[in-house]
Amino acid sequence: MSKMITRRDFLKVSAVVAGSATALGALKNVVSVQAAAEIPTTLQTAADENIFASTCHLCSAGCGILVRVANGKVVKLEGNPMHPVNQGSLCPKGQAAPELLYNPDRLTGPQKRDRSTGHTSPITWDEAIQLVSQKLNDLRQAGHPEQAVLMHGDTRGQMRSFLVRFMQAVGSPNIISHESLNVAAAKLGVYLTQGIYAMPAYDFEKTNYILSFGANFLEAGSNPQRTISGYTYLRRGRATRGKVVVIDPRQGIHGAKADEWIPIKPGTDAALALGMANVIIRTGLVDADFIKNYSFGFDNIGKAKGFRDFVLDNYDPARVEQITGVPATTIARLAGEFASNKPSLALLPGKGGLLNGGFGGVYAAMAVHILNALVGSIEAPGGTMTQRNMPCVEWPRLSSDPTAKKGLATPRMDGAGSKFQLGRNAYQAVADQILDGIPVEALFLYDANPVFETPGGSRFAEAFKKVPFVVSFSSFLDESAELADLILPEPTFLERWGDDHIEGLGYPGISLYQPAVDPLYETMNTGDFLLKVAETMGGPVAKAFPWKSYQEVLQFRLENIGTDWKTFKELGVWFTPGYRFARRGSQKWVNEIVGVDRLNAPRDGYFDLYSRELYCFLGKMKKDELATLGITMTGDGTSLPHYEETNYAGDEATYPFTLNVITLMSLGPRSEAANMPTLQEISGMTVGETWSSWLEMNPESASKLGLRDMDPVWVESPFGKVNTKVRIVKGLRPDVVNMPFNQGHSAVGRFARGRGVNGLKLLNPASEPLSGLAAFTNTHVKVRKS
Amino acid sequence: MLPTTFHPQNNNEAVILAPVHRVTRKDLLLWAVLLGIMGIGVYAYLTQWFTGLGVTGLNRPVYWGFYITNFVFFIGLAHSGTFISAILRLAGASWRTPLTRAAEAITLFSLPFGVGAILIDMGRPDRVMNIFFYGRFQSPLLWDITAVSLYLFSSIVFFYISLLPDIALCRDRLTEVPSWQQKMYKILALGWTGRGEQFKRLERALDNMAIFMTLLVVTVHTVVSWVFGMTVQPGWHTALIGPFFLVGAIFSGTSAVVIVLAILRRVYHMEKVLPVSLFNSLRKLLIVFTVAWLYMMIAEFLTTTYGAISDEMLVVWQKFTGDFAVLFWTMALTVFVLPLIIFLFLGKDHVGWMVVAAILINIGMWIERFLVIVPTETRPRFVSTLMEGMGSYHPSWQEIAITGSLFAGLILLYVVFTRFFPIVPIWETAHSGETK
Amino acid sequence: MAKWSMVIDLEKCVACQGCSIACRFENNTPVVGPDQALMGRAMRWNDVFPLPINADEDTGEYPNVTSRYIPRPCMHCENPPCIKVCPVGATFIDNEGIVEQNYARCIGCRFCTVACPYGVRYFNWLEPKWEAPLGEHLNPDRVEGEGVLEGPVVRPRGIVEKCTFCVHRLIKARERAEAEGRDFRADEYVPACVQTCTGKARFFGDLDDPASTVSQLAKSTRAFRVLEEVGTHPKTIYLREG
Repeated sequence: MSKMITRRDFLKVSAVVAGSATALGALKNVVSVQAAAEIPTTLQTAADENIFASTCHLCSAGCGILVRVANGKVVKLEGNPMHPVNQGSLCPKGQAAPELLYNPDRLTGPQKRDRSTGHTSPITWDEAIQLVSQKLNDLRQAGHPEQAVLMHGDTRGQMRSFLVRFMQAVGSPNIISHESLNVAAAKLGVYLTQGIYAMPAYDFEKTNYILSFGANFLEAGSNPQRTISGYTYLRRGRATRGKVVVIDPRQGIHGAKADEWIPIKPGTDAALALGMANVIIRTGLVDADFIKNYSFGFDNIGKAKGFRDFVLDNYDPARVEQITGVPATTIARLAGEFASNKPSLALLPGKGGLLNGGFGGVYAAMAVHILNALVGSIEAPGGTMTQRNMPCVEWPRLSSDPTAKKGLATPRMDGAGSKFQLGRNAYQAVADQILDGIPVEALFLYDANPVFETPGGSRFAEAFKKVPFVVSFSSFLDESAELADLILPEPTFLERWGDDHIEGLGYPGISLYQPAVDPLYETMNTGDFLLKVAETMGGPVAKAFPWKSYQEVLQFRLENIGTDWKTFKELGVWFTPGYRFARRGSQKWVNEIVGVDRLNAPRDGYFDLYSRELYCFLGKMKKDELATLGITMTGDGTSLPHYEETNYAGDEATYPFTLNVITLMSLGPRSEAANMPTLQEISGMTVGETWSSWLEMNPESASKLGLRDMDPVWVESPFGKVNTKVRIVKGLRPDVVNMPFNQGHSAVGRFARGRGVNGLKLLNPASEPLSGLAAFTNTHVKVRKS
Repeated sequence: MLPTTFHPQNNNEAVILAPVHRVTRKDLLLWAVLLGIMGIGVYAYLTQWFTGLGVTGLNRPVYWGFYITNFVFFIGLAHSGTFISAILRLAGASWRTPLTRAAEAITLFSLPFGVGAILIDMGRPDRVMNIFFYGRFQSPLLWDITAVSLYLFSSIVFFYISLLPDIALCRDRLTEVPSWQQKMYKILALGWTGRGEQFKRLERALDNMAIFMTLLVVTVHTVVSWVFGMTVQPGWHTALIGPFFLVGAIFSGTSAVVIVLAILRRVYHMEKVLPVSLFNSLRKLLIVFTVAWLYMMIAEFLTTTYGAISDEMLVVWQKFTGDFAVLFWTMALTVFVLPLIIFLFLGKDHVGWMVVAAILINIGMWIERFLVIVPTETRPRFVSTLMEGMGSYHPSWQEIAITGSLFAGLILLYVVFTRFFPIVPIWETAHSGETK
Repeated sequence: MAKWSMVIDLEKCVACQGCSIACRFENNTPVVGPDQALMGRAMRWNDVFPLPINADEDTGEYPNVTSRYIPRPCMHCENPPCIKVCPVGATFIDNEGIVEQNYARCIGCRFCTVACPYGVRYFNWLEPKWEAPLGEHLNPDRVEGEGVLEGPVVRPRGIVEKCTFCVHRLIKARERAEAEGRDFRADEYVPACVQTCTGKARFFGDLDDPASTVSQLAKSTRAFRVLEEVGTHPKTIYLREG
């Protein structure tokens, strides 16, 4: 029996079908997202906007910045795309710079501190100028201008030479740079081999292979932005991707990003480099032309052993494996890769990282730089370059001044060149020298906070007590300014004139600081202040400084850079792009590249594999004399790079870990950065910490000590102990622990004070006896749960 | 004057009406205590209002904590009444009659606190009207708001119409109560006479509404679960979450009824009206629910662990052995193991043990709600929780105080209600109807 | 109509966090202070963190340890879970694919924050504060109209905020082009994080334009999207290391 479909049924079914379809359609609306209809919004912004090109001053890279000023306030910094170092990029420190300018803890005007009560009271700038010029004139009248000492940080550009000129005019040779805390070890390594006292610039863009010896080049180092740009270009900016090998007890960012991470035993980099040299020589992969024609000491020199035999005899990979903990096969493979993938590049550490606390650290830097020589990467595309600076107008000659002349003839008070024969600066030794009785009547601190930033910095607090007149130019009341008699705050880099040499690219360039806003407070550019002091002092000092303002000084010095002041101000940067390599053996080579800075050895354009300069100091020394310098090698070996066992403070049985104080990308090297809240917040990103310090430890070591992640611990060295939190880090040697630098301030401001601990308090405060370098990595510590 | 109203005869009328006669000092004391607890909660909320949700222990990535747990719990609790009076009404389980009102009262009084918990959790309670101005039905939260408000409204109607004959009874019998109370009964009784078709119509209305309420009860808690289930987060994004929540809700609701009945029985001397047999019937139901809940639990965790998708496993391990292990196993003990032992071996004819089990179940179910919500949040897929204070949740005193005050509020409404209205339906438990 | 997309090359990213902080100063996210930051309430629309986020995941044993870092802006999904769940339409995707937040409408229920599988949404637990004179540096840009409030304008407490691909910069670039009487080009606009990237690891552009850098890079064999399996279709695309 068939049943007719009625109209009613049909409608019912249709309704059900339609209903289902609608439901399905609705479901689609439920599961997917539709774009919103256009909303008529309008943008409101500041009525008055300006962009100033300037330069960042928060680390030694000196990146170009474009400062956005809205309604008279600095609201944002961008990288200056014209600037060759950062090419428009800017790291977190630079980005956070408005927090430096508008920091609530800035000093608002000059202050005088009463030593007996410790209280400070505001003074006028005129009074400050009077006090300083009076003091300097007194010293000059007493015939001891050298008792005025200036310690400065990473001060570059015209300010550096301005300060030098000022001190020279006063008559003091004591201008002490902080480089002994960081780049001086590498510079000495280059000096003793290549014969120039400078950090090489690296041609990352053209190199194929990078061996980084503890050069923390993606986080810190002397020019992190330049090395980051170079690194990323090497990796993905061009058709072929370069290989990167990182040699460092700590993996860090650079080890994480590298193709290979070699966790070397700390302080043994010299052995590894020489082991690789051994392989390169044995396999005949050396750049024969360079070695034969432009280097000294490869073959034996008369009876003296040359580099080749020395290395072949002593640094067989199997032996190097014993020393460094790096497998011999790895050493051989890396050496082969390094020498057969030219151009290749070995990076020197930008800080004390490689230095094993003794002169062995300098030997290590020499050995690393010699790797560059062996593969022909000195002054070559894809190799090292020699940093050229913009030609500046010569300062007018200082008029003859017997007082100054007498002062300048005295030995440097920090012992550089005398006590520390090879040293150029011994920043951290200033305290010891003062405490040892070297008279200092006036101490000026520019861009320097030695109480905080040196190992055993509390000695400076003691030393300051013996100096009757301590002056700080810091914008913040940092640990050193707290103890100063006069605090003469400089405006931040966003409010003042200044300049910086562009470094790291080889070719010359100048970058300008200009005030994006008027100074917020009663601060004074130290350049302007010293001009006024000179004027008030009168006599030859006043004559040496005929300029009205520091801006005029800049204009005078930068007259010939190739552009006019207006264009320079607009662009914020001027440079002569394109590095021109000097041909091997050419006149330029001899005059600028190899040997030019040598003081004792011939400036003949030969790259020293056997250091003739060093021979002049050590060649004739007896074993016991050498022992006082901490050198165990005798004879020719002392002039050749070699491995010296690190002389650790703290015996290994009691203190099983080597302490490594690491500089972070976020907080960087400057004390005031620790008072920028944003940087505090992001400082511990890699381990999950914030606003604090921590101790990084390998999981295996931690479990041996019964420590779990985030346990509170005491870290103790023979020099002190601090309480912090342990964080487990897999990428770290079990016998090394790390602590971040730039935490643990007791001053500077509300955001920095009391945050974490200062690892430098645990470090060996001694200076290396030959070079005057600070010992950063020769301290052993022990760790226990607290 | 002839009595205008017909009231079915109920031998227990005096017992049932006894608590309604007067408010005792003890009552006032209890109310004061409860109000005090609520006062602390209000103070806690004021600190939150003026400072922001920052006063809570909530953080990133644990954005939801105690407040949302309370929301789910109270809505779950609300399923007691509807289950007892609507579903059992449809099933024709006549033993339920003495406890229908007690159960429905739980529904009625816990719903506002569920809704309140959501409002307390809002970052901008001042913008609550945006939900009506700009409500988007694609959001499960809107489904929730719709379902819960419909549920609240329906429950009020359902509760109220079944209360009508008894209000009328109060109006007529309680002559010694204050005049405002008499007036209240008079107004609320809506002129109920009990004559003619009124009882018949009432029964029909209740029957029809019961069908609707049954559908609603299923919908409401499923929709509550979908707030979680509709996201793509591990531990939440499972089709089972709806039925799981539903079973849990009815489970905790029915247990709550046991607690309430036992208290009423003891405090208001209603041993006769609420006989032990009631508890025995509830015991059977609860045995079924315990086992059903276990079934859900096994289905959920077996599926997850067998498949072992790593994101899901992180959450599972958080519960089994991680930060929430103590809570998780406590929950397993209090919701399943102990209650089942009690129900099977101790609970028969023993009100005391039944209450113990019911309390355990409700504590456990609150923990269960918490465990559904928080562990998932502590193991996010793309938020680094390396930091010491991250990936965990520690409620602040404000959250605890507010949670306490929500419970206090529920109890307060309940005890006040029992002093003004008969908590056992007199007409439904009556022995005779009107003779024609 | 453009479809804005970001490509991040993890090989070139050196985890410097410049992006995080560029975002902060462009978009006025507050510093929350140590206690709040330790609880995880720090506000960085563009966060950078180590991978894997789960400590139990195998990363090798010393010395063969794999360490990775990832910067994380909003993924600007084409099928954003956050938008689906918003009860009031306070978050929306515009017709150029940018997922935005209307600060004037958000009720602070935090449904979007729990729904987002990437954790890119931030809730204002407390009133944002800048200790004077730190507040002077706040970006004055403000996008407003018809009940919508967006842009770097300082957000009140109790609402959710997130990465907007610096949509105010897009509006600005468009207005500039219009004022100069010419067509707007896609390369006139990049978010602050892209502009500042120290490793030049970030690329930004129109995914609908097959010639754009992002389109080209999106085709790379190194390209991947985070949690692709979730079906969100992110427009923030990563390139694997190596």
